[in-house]
Amino acid sequence: MPAVLAPATQYTAVTLVTDMTIALAWNVVVGYGGQLSLGVGAFTGVGAYACGLAMVHLGWGWLEAGLAGLVVCAAFGLVVGLPLLRVKGAYFAVATLVVAVGLQAGAQLWTWAGGGSGFTLPIAQLPSDSTVLRAGVVVLVVALATTLYVQDSRFGLRLRAVRDDEQAAAGLGIATSTYRLVPFVASGILMGLAGQLSALQSVSVSPAGSFSMEWTINASLFVVAGGIGTAVGPLLGVILVYLILTQGLQNLGVASSIIEGVLLVAVLRFAPSGIWPTALSVGKRLESAWKRRAGAQGMAADKEKRQVHVATASAVRER
Amino acid sequence: MSLTVAINGLLIGSLYGLVGMGLSLLAGVVRLINLAQGDILVGGAYLAIALHGVLGWDPLWLLPIVAVAIFCGCYVVQKWLLNSLVTREPLALLVVTFGLSLLLESLYQELFGANPASLPAFWGDTGFTVLGVRIETLYVVAFITGAVLAACTWFLLYRTHFGRTVRAAAADASTARLLGVDVERVFALTFGLAGVLAAAAGVILAVGQSVSPTSGLSLLVFSFTVMVICGIGNVIGAVVAGMFVGLLQAIAGAVIGQSSTDLAVYVFLLVFLIVFPSGILKRRELGIR
Repeated sequence: MPAVLAPATQYTAVTLVTDMTIALAWNVVVGYGGQLSLGVGAFTGVGAYACGLAMVHLGWGWLEAGLAGLVVCAAFGLVVGLPLLRVKGAYFAVATLVVAVGLQAGAQLWTWAGGGSGFTLPIAQLPSDSTVLRAGVVVLVVALATTLYVQDSRFGLRLRAVRDDEQAAAGLGIATSTYRLVPFVASGILMGLAGQLSALQSVSVSPAGSFSMEWTINASLFVVAGGIGTAVGPLLGVILVYLILTQGLQNLGVASSIIEGVLLVAVLRFAPSGIWPTALSVGKRLESAWKRRAGAQGMAADKEKRQVHVATASAVRER
Repeated sequence: MSLTVAINGLLIGSLYGLVGMGLSLLAGVVRLINLAQGDILVGGAYLAIALHGVLGWDPLWLLPIVAVAIFCGCYVVQKWLLNSLVTREPLALLVVTFGLSLLLESLYQELFGANPASLPAFWGDTGFTVLGVRIETLYVVAFITGAVLAACTWFLLYRTHFGRTVRAAAADASTARLLGVDVERVFALTFGLAGVLAAAAGVILAVGQSVSPTSGLSLLVFSFTVMVICGIGNVIGAVVAGMFVGLLQAIAGAVIGQSSTDLAVYVFLLVFLIVFPSGILKRRELGIR
């Protein structure tokens, strides 16, 4: 593997990796957990700010600051998740939205941390480009592992039970609070790590970047377009939306956001389970249609054989 | 903090009440939390600005045109897009309105640019003094608009046949269908009405404050706060709750600073939701009492 990638490739690679992490994390809390979180920006921002402030004011290296950010995100997830345990559905969604937007507004007023323009990270403590990419891949692998764990474990089974019918699950003795809180905090940690990586890549932390609504918009688009509640869906969504749409339509500027909005609405209207599950089901239907045609041909051949057999038998009898 | 600021906050709050009323209607009737409600308000404002640029009319004359246009747009959106999703799980419905919100915001950015825009009106700068308190005409116009539209909505919902069908669909859509109510059409008309309320508020707000493509988000939070305080389906309560939000903004602006007015409402809403996770009242049915 080359030690240093070209800047454009490096940027794309790190962005892809963080986007995939965000998508997988969002999928865990929304697709498997069933709680719509519109506050991705809150976690990415908290992670980025905690890491950045540790580097600038405490002089920590990027790794220690990153771990500090991880801990802060976990604590933040508990602080936000616990009181909001009783808030359900759309109200929970709006609450997470308000947390994200409120933190962004608060960060803009936080003059100690640079106010509206944020602050830059100290160059001396920054990791090299390839290290950032490798760290990103590690985080992505953790996100994937989490997704696969949620898919194929008893924890995941109970989580999906709570998602599908919370009252029934509670009636069966599942501690629903745990299954609401744990995915929220876990995905929040992953989102925070992704936010830190993005900050390390851009060498700056700011309210507009770290707490941006773009994080939530991207996460929801990737996962919904790709296939919510599946392991492959979010990854496919990132590849589809980021590589094909964004890069392909780079020259159109703002128009790409319009297309993203249209895509989100169109997918929900015409293929609500996402492109991957829809593709799978279309594939299955094609396969069964093919089998039916082959089977019909086989049956027609059998029928012919039987008719010849009967004709031969009656011919033999007549003789 | 002067009485002027407080009263002006109260008066403009009636507009927040209007857009909150629209959100509340949709939540009660269509069982939909419309995350694009703030962006419809901004859409009404931008449409009025565009029409003003072309026709030069006063915003109050533009209001009916904007109302009709937005009504048609929202009716179509509900009929062709949202109605087919209403029967699916609420998550899809919520994310689709989020998608609509994103779509509208990028559309506004593309068409009108990212800079704030406002609507000029002859009553935008004047004011008068009553009992030693200066009141600006703008806020009086805002309040009258809010009160009149709220009264009209109340009359529509509780004194007309259409209102009865709306309340029936809100109470029990499947039974209403059995009784001959075209529930899909009622949903579409309700979305149109919610859009009209938001757009009307938007036109007046554009005179007093400026709007930008991203204004919709904070306005969504304000209307959501109104809905949560007064309960779903409460029309008159919405105006009162809106006035409360306006007052809260005014107090925050005077005591903490002009840049914290939105943040004050966000914090209030979060604290409120933590204490009352489903709003102040349980889901109050629009109709049969």
